[in-house]
Amino acid sequence: MTMRRGVGLAAFDNHQRTAQQYSDLGSSILQTHISELTDQLLTFQAALKKFAQSHADEIRSDPVFRSEFVKMCSAIGVDPLASSSANKKGSFWAELLGSDVNDFFFELAVRIIEICRRTRDVNGGLMLVEDVKGRINSVPGRPPVSQEDIVRAVNTLAPLGHGFGIVRLANKDFIRSVPQELSRDQAVAIEATQALGYISVPILRDNLAWETARCIAVLDDLVASGLVWIDEQARPKEYWTPSWIRQ
Amino acid sequence: MSTLPSPTSTSSRSTSFPFPSIYSFPPFFTRQPNSQTWTSQLSLWNSLILAYCRYNRIWRIDLNTAIEWDLFNNRDINRSLKLETCKEVLDSMVKKGDAEWVSGSGSHVSKNTSAIIYWRRPEEWANIIADWIDSTGQKNTILTLYEIAEGDLSLSQDFRGIDPTILRKALDVLIRRGQAQIMKSADGEEAGVKFFGSQ
Repeated sequence: MTMRRGVGLAAFDNHQRTAQQYSDLGSSILQTHISELTDQLLTFQAALKKFAQSHADEIRSDPVFRSEFVKMCSAIGVDPLASSSANKKGSFWAELLGSDVNDFFFELAVRIIEICRRTRDVNGGLMLVEDVKGRINSVPGRPPVSQEDIVRAVNTLAPLGHGFGIVRLANKDFIRSVPQELSRDQAVAIEATQALGYISVPILRDNLAWETARCIAVLDDLVASGLVWIDEQARPKEYWTPSWIRQ
Repeated sequence: MSTLPSPTSTSSRSTSFPFPSIYSFPPFFTRQPNSQTWTSQLSLWNSLILAYCRYNRIWRIDLNTAIEWDLFNNRDINRSLKLETCKEVLDSMVKKGDAEWVSGSGSHVSKNTSAIIYWRRPEEWANIIADWIDSTGQKNTILTLYEIAEGDLSLSQDFRGIDPTILRKALDVLIRRGQAQIMKSADGEEAGVKFFGSQ
């Protein structure tokens, strides 16, 4: 149908009607698209749910598979650990994925909290992720967890405000389970302990070019925080990181 | 210089005590000033001492001689626990019920230098002895303390060579439970213990 531009009021009328027809057509196309999209989304949801359910065992037992699964979820914009409410099962994705992923990290977080609580007096609330992993995996009958799993679980705890967090020192991941964060000097000093297992006033002074008073202050600080153990039978006194105690 | 304790029982181990990793941590031998760290250190020493005594079948620790043992001296890292710290550790074990001070032996009238180590509590020993009486059919027999600890029938038992003081305490438990009774001879001397077996 060819349309002819008329002139005068009649032409104006025509234009309006045409615009309306276009608008109607646009709406119906949009409507079709929306329903197609909805169909696709529903198909996708079903597929993802089926995938998660049929691979639930692998998600639970294989750290590599689990890691890849979580990465895939992130890539398509899905956070399998996101919770819309305080209830861990409140997450839409937890429902969709059959809550296996959520359960896994929740249970892991609980075990991590327990281990940190039990060792707090020994290490002042700072523990190597590797050591936590060793303890968890030493319990027979449970599938192994990876360092990545632990870091992820701890990061889910961070927003809860109980002082849990991951601290990276000397290229190693530590779990901090007390609210007090390390000061800059404390962090540097603890990093220095990772070379030989201990530091001393001369070691800090010679390697970091700190004056003696600053060295003494930070070492006293670390002792007060329970983050190092003193060896008074060494000359000069040595301050040891409890992370050096082999598990 | 560190020594091994003199054997106190007939069973001798072919391998030496497997020390835990904390034993190789130099600061473990320094009394920690931080009170929380010290709490954990006390607990670790407590466990270590109990395990060491259990392994080597040591029933009591005399501070003045024990301080020379490898338990308190790690030659590999050249670290030793000070006598005062060792005493603090034992004091805490006594408070927990894992040890008990006994009056010093010999001419020294020193207080709190010797302690019985309960790597099994008297109640545990009582149960083990009562089970042994049952399983060896010794109910209603009278046994002397020596026979219990050193007799043929106890050769493979955990209480073999048990310190007499600890045995006494275990028997006291059984007497309180009504499972044993002290038998006296005609002249009023203690002759032995009669067991009624577990109820």
